[in-house]
Amino acid sequence: MDRAFRALIERTFGDLLTGPVRQRHDETEMRIRPGDVPQVMRTLHDDPRLRFEYLSDLAGVDTGTVFQVVYHLFSVVTPDWLRVVADGIPRDQPRIPSITFLWKGAEWMEREAYDMFGLVFEGNRDMRRIYMPDDYVSFPLRKDFHLPDDASRSPGGGVRPMEDATTPADAAAATSRRTATAR
Amino acid sequence: MTSSTRPSLDDPALTIPLEHAGIFEPIPLARTERQQEFYGLKDGEMLLNMGPQHPSTHGVLRVVLKINGEQVVDLDPVLGYLHRGVEKIAENSDFHHIISQLDPLEYVSSLFCEWSPVMSFEKLLDVQVPRRAEYIRVLTGELNRIASHMLFLGWYALDLGGITPILWSFAERDEIVEMLAAITGAKLLFNYFRIGGVNGDLNHEFMSRLGDWMSRAGAQLDAGMGLLNENEIFVRRARGLGVLDRETALRMCATGPNLRASGVPFDIRRAHPYSVYPELEFDIPTRREGDSLARYLLRMDEVRQSLRIIDQCLHQMPDGPVMARLPRLLRPRPGRAYSAVEGPRGQYSCYAMSDGTDQPFRLRIHDPSFLHLQLVGLLMPGNLIADTMAIMASLDPVMGGVDK
Repeated sequence: MDRAFRALIERTFGDLLTGPVRQRHDETEMRIRPGDVPQVMRTLHDDPRLRFEYLSDLAGVDTGTVFQVVYHLFSVVTPDWLRVVADGIPRDQPRIPSITFLWKGAEWMEREAYDMFGLVFEGNRDMRRIYMPDDYVSFPLRKDFHLPDDASRSPGGGVRPMEDATTPADAAAATSRRTATAR
Repeated sequence: MTSSTRPSLDDPALTIPLEHAGIFEPIPLARTERQQEFYGLKDGEMLLNMGPQHPSTHGVLRVVLKINGEQVVDLDPVLGYLHRGVEKIAENSDFHHIISQLDPLEYVSSLFCEWSPVMSFEKLLDVQVPRRAEYIRVLTGELNRIASHMLFLGWYALDLGGITPILWSFAERDEIVEMLAAITGAKLLFNYFRIGGVNGDLNHEFMSRLGDWMSRAGAQLDAGMGLLNENEIFVRRARGLGVLDRETALRMCATGPNLRASGVPFDIRRAHPYSVYPELEFDIPTRREGDSLARYLLRMDEVRQSLRIIDQCLHQMPDGPVMARLPRLLRPRPGRAYSAVEGPRGQYSCYAMSDGTDQPFRLRIHDPSFLHLQLVGLLMPGNLIADTMAIMASLDPVMGGVDK
């Protein structure tokens, strides 16, 4: 844990942070609003005190109530991984600015998050499905995704109508997961 | 002939019906900006489909090439043929079961697919891994790295039209695979790492095979590499092909050998040390050229460094247990953990969220091949069709990892 780095993050971003900067093991976590992502990322990337040149990962998360987009960054100025959580993306309007203007390589990771969660990254010039077929209608990694129901609606889902008869009546309940306990 | 008498291409009488032109499927509707750019054909351009059963796409990959004569103008990889939804599977299986589900991601270096999730679960649980287990992880991991680079050497030569090197490199790879089979019981999907250690200590067969192999490995690997390193046809073909510069590599999130061949000395084993790597002595080879030849040579340099690491592991390995004491049912406290390891292809990382139950709330697997395949679209334009596979193979993606 790099305490000096935490102070630097708090000093640099101040009001942009929506929660305390947390540290555990070799990770530093900061939370921001989704609308502030371009500004925060540009500062992290360009500021000579921060120099976060490496985008390690971009992940979508469904907490059951809202969506999050989680970025992991690496810099030579600190031994910690920096985790930036863009928190509180509403389910009915899952939109967030893209970061492809800084890291063009994020394009496919954002496409993947779109494919799996339905998150729309504004500014990504190729916002289409990447793994699932184009005519697929649902978003598999959402917590309210029940496999038997949704897959049968898609001709690309690989489930034939005949197979529905063999599905147990309580299949939806059995495949659904508990939600909204992880923060 | 005046322009008024010239037949118009839009004249319905002159257009060929689709079924006669050999086109049975309509070209997909252009929806995104990128699709409009790609599927809008200019004069003299045509689309060519490659795969998904092409012999050298390293798995099941389909690429749509936009070509002008023999020259590739642009390309659009189509993924998803091997997609299993492993992240969804992980959300519905408990922490021990997940490890076996992650093996088939990058089947040629499966120990690294296990390593980063296991590390992140250990962070969630605050487990201290015994030092002997850490040494065994590094030892088997470096063996797996050599096996993976040997496969790369053979396949890369095969993609460029040389058949002999794969026979030589597979002799070495087989030897390593037999060694690992002696302790893990499997030749491809090892399923060896456990949360808190490894599954079983090193045994006599492994040690005798390893000692035997180490005494001649250096000379034999050099002989295998010599087939290509000094081959004029190979060197002239690979030099200057698919040049990736430093800024582009960083912007495209490239990692591993592909990044280091472009002059960035970024290796997670040194940049963000994990396991027992701080105690071991090795160099980070770097090259400046950024072309296919540099990427090939850099991997061969890494093989020599891996041999050094294995040698040190054998001398420094302490005695002791290989598993931490843990309950059978794991229920980490709610939290988040991220961990990354340096694999043969680059950064394998894993982001795990726990909600206090015995299954992860979310498990995100990050695979280097996914991002390196994205690079192909950047490096290809302007090259010949025959170079598509030459460039793609030099980036060394594995489709199992790309599609997850």
